[in-house]
Amino acid sequence: MNAFSIALDSIWAHRLRSALTSLGIVIGVFAVVTLTSLGSGVRSYVSGQFGSFGATLITVAPALPHASSHKPRFGGGPNNNFINVPSTLTVGDATAISLAHSRDISQVAPVAVLPVTVSPTSGSSSGLAATGTTASYFRAEQLSFAAGRFTHSGAVLGSSAMHTLFPRVKDPIGRTIYVGQSPLPVTGVLNSASGLLSKAANNTIFVYVSTGLKISDLHNISEILVAASGNTQVNGAGSVITRVMKRRHPSGNFTVTKDTQILKTINNTLSTITTFLSGLAAISLLVGGIGIMNIMLVTVTERFREIGIRKALGARDSDILVQFLAESVLLSLLGGAIGVLLSALASHMIGQLAGFSAGLTLDAVALAVGFSLLVGIVFGVIPAFRAARLMPAEALRTE
Amino acid sequence: MIQDVNHPIIETHQLRRRYGRGEAAMDGLAGVDLTIRRGELVALMGPSGSGKSTLMQILGLLDRPTSGSYYLDGTDVSRLTTAEQAELRGRRLGFVFQGIYLLPRLNAIRNVELPMVYARFPASERKHRAADSLSRVGLAELANRRPNQLSGGQAQRVAIARAVAPGPDLLLADEPTGALDRASGREVLSLFQHLNDDMGLTIVVVTHDPLVGRHARRIVELEDGHVISDNIVNEAERIVADHPLEVVK
Ligand SMILES: Nc1ncnc2c1ncn2[C@@H]1O[C@H](COP(=O)(O)OP(=O)(O)OP(=O)(O)O)[C@@H](O)[C@H]1O
Ligand SMILES: [Mg+2]
Repeated sequence: MNAFSIALDSIWAHRLRSALTSLGIVIGVFAVVTLTSLGSGVRSYVSGQFGSFGATLITVAPALPHASSHKPRFGGGPNNNFINVPSTLTVGDATAISLAHSRDISQVAPVAVLPVTVSPTSGSSSGLAATGTTASYFRAEQLSFAAGRFTHSGAVLGSSAMHTLFPRVKDPIGRTIYVGQSPLPVTGVLNSASGLLSKAANNTIFVYVSTGLKISDLHNISEILVAASGNTQVNGAGSVITRVMKRRHPSGNFTVTKDTQILKTINNTLSTITTFLSGLAAISLLVGGIGIMNIMLVTVTERFREIGIRKALGARDSDILVQFLAESVLLSLLGGAIGVLLSALASHMIGQLAGFSAGLTLDAVALAVGFSLLVGIVFGVIPAFRAARLMPAEALRTE
Repeated sequence: MIQDVNHPIIETHQLRRRYGRGEAAMDGLAGVDLTIRRGELVALMGPSGSGKSTLMQILGLLDRPTSGSYYLDGTDVSRLTTAEQAELRGRRLGFVFQGIYLLPRLNAIRNVELPMVYARFPASERKHRAADSLSRVGLAELANRRPNQLSGGQAQRVAIARAVAPGPDLLLADEPTGALDRASGREVLSLFQHLNDDMGLTIVVVTHDPLVGRHARRIVELEDGHVISDNIVNEAERIVADHPLEVVK
């Protein structure tokens, strides 16, 4: 009959009280572990999406007239352009970058977002976006063809765009679509893209850049997409681009943005969100802690008589402390374990629904369990310590 | 401790216990000089509020005197650390409370074992002594009952078994018969007398029952926190008291 079995006995004897105490910890631990796990799950999901590009993409865009800082291509893709920004970029700029023949650059693609409607019949609109570019674009974005290929005179459909335009057609190659007023034959269909940023391609139809500019009566392109030859070549590629562009646009009215910068920005944003979520979680942990404290305080007062009897029978102050400590630790660990289990379940379910894995992070588990232990011990033992120091007669007198 | 018969097991000088502060303060004990020798069976009597429980608590190291001194077996108790006091409570003293203070969650035998758990008796000795002690109070067959499955008299006998199981030198019983009917009360008292006779256990017992008081060899009477009388009961009276049925006849 040691301290732990005395504690277990007491926990079992007061099942409701024990359950209420644990509940505070369960809620606190559950909140902290789930929220932080979700936060880190989202972060690694986003990083993973960038990782599939190798974070090698560099975007050259017109400088915003009012802000000189680069604008991240957030959730972007070809149809996320800066239509309202008067662009001075040209196909010639893209050609100049490729003519620099830098080993650091593997693909250069002009991108022109075309302000025209796309439809299978003349004069109607499907709400799809049209982009003018070159074959390099597909290689840079790692988009693969389900059928056909990209030509100077035809159109390539994103996978969703194909379903929108030709809902019941299996093989749309050879069919005609209208880009603005111009009928173009469909020459290729893309595989569905799943990357966070390349997803936009699914809803886009692509035409050759000069064809597109002519159709839309444009002279300038929206941006230039450059793929560095590897992760370590991104900076080298960036400086080649900047040098070429500086020569062609001495005014500097362009921006060069690397995906790594975007990744950093996104990561920072996600960190902020995670911190915020953790803050919320910490509050619930605190609330749980206060619940534990209240119950423990009531408990000790309730148990003064027991403490008095035990002391009268020869229990030392330390025996009483160890008993209450054991009880608190057991309750806290029990609550912590249940909380971790529940949040493992919740993270798994949310991960399934949201389509990314939100594994428990060890730090979150350690933090939450550590905190609940601390709360349990502090609030369980401080009142017990008070009681243990009383003379038995005083403890017995307390009702 | 050396069993030195020459110094008394209990010796108090001007023991005082003051409750409360200022205007409301009152003396539960107002200066008690009391000496009890090894092997005595002392009845402590007196009207309600006279300070009997207060004195017993101090003698049992459950409370501290406000002033005065208390030598337990020659040791000045005020010089002991709380751990040493706990050790004495567990090994050398047995306490039977006014009212029944068993732990409700533990069955009879585990209640009896409890002081020996705290006194760090080896498990085998603990079990052996607990069983012995329970059968001495005639409850061997109720060892596994919870306190709420025992009658008041049985519960009080378990409490007595618990108090004597570790083999204490001094048993302090505060109205052990208070909650019991006359017959159970007599049983408890004759149990005390056996413990005193057979084992030489020193016993101080608080009681209101004048007849019960005659089981004792010595009667100390308290009033308003003072000892007002301290008498040795003569042998003839005790023999009568030993056979209460004859007295009733
Ligand atoms: N904790 C306390 N606080 C204040 N006064 C107390 C306290 N305990 C006892 N007293 C007072 O001290 C006096 C002695 O009390 P004590 O309990 O020793 O009496 P008693 O002789 O045991 O009485 P009873 O026969 O009714 O048990 C009483 O007047 C009582 O009111
Ligand atoms: Mg009393």
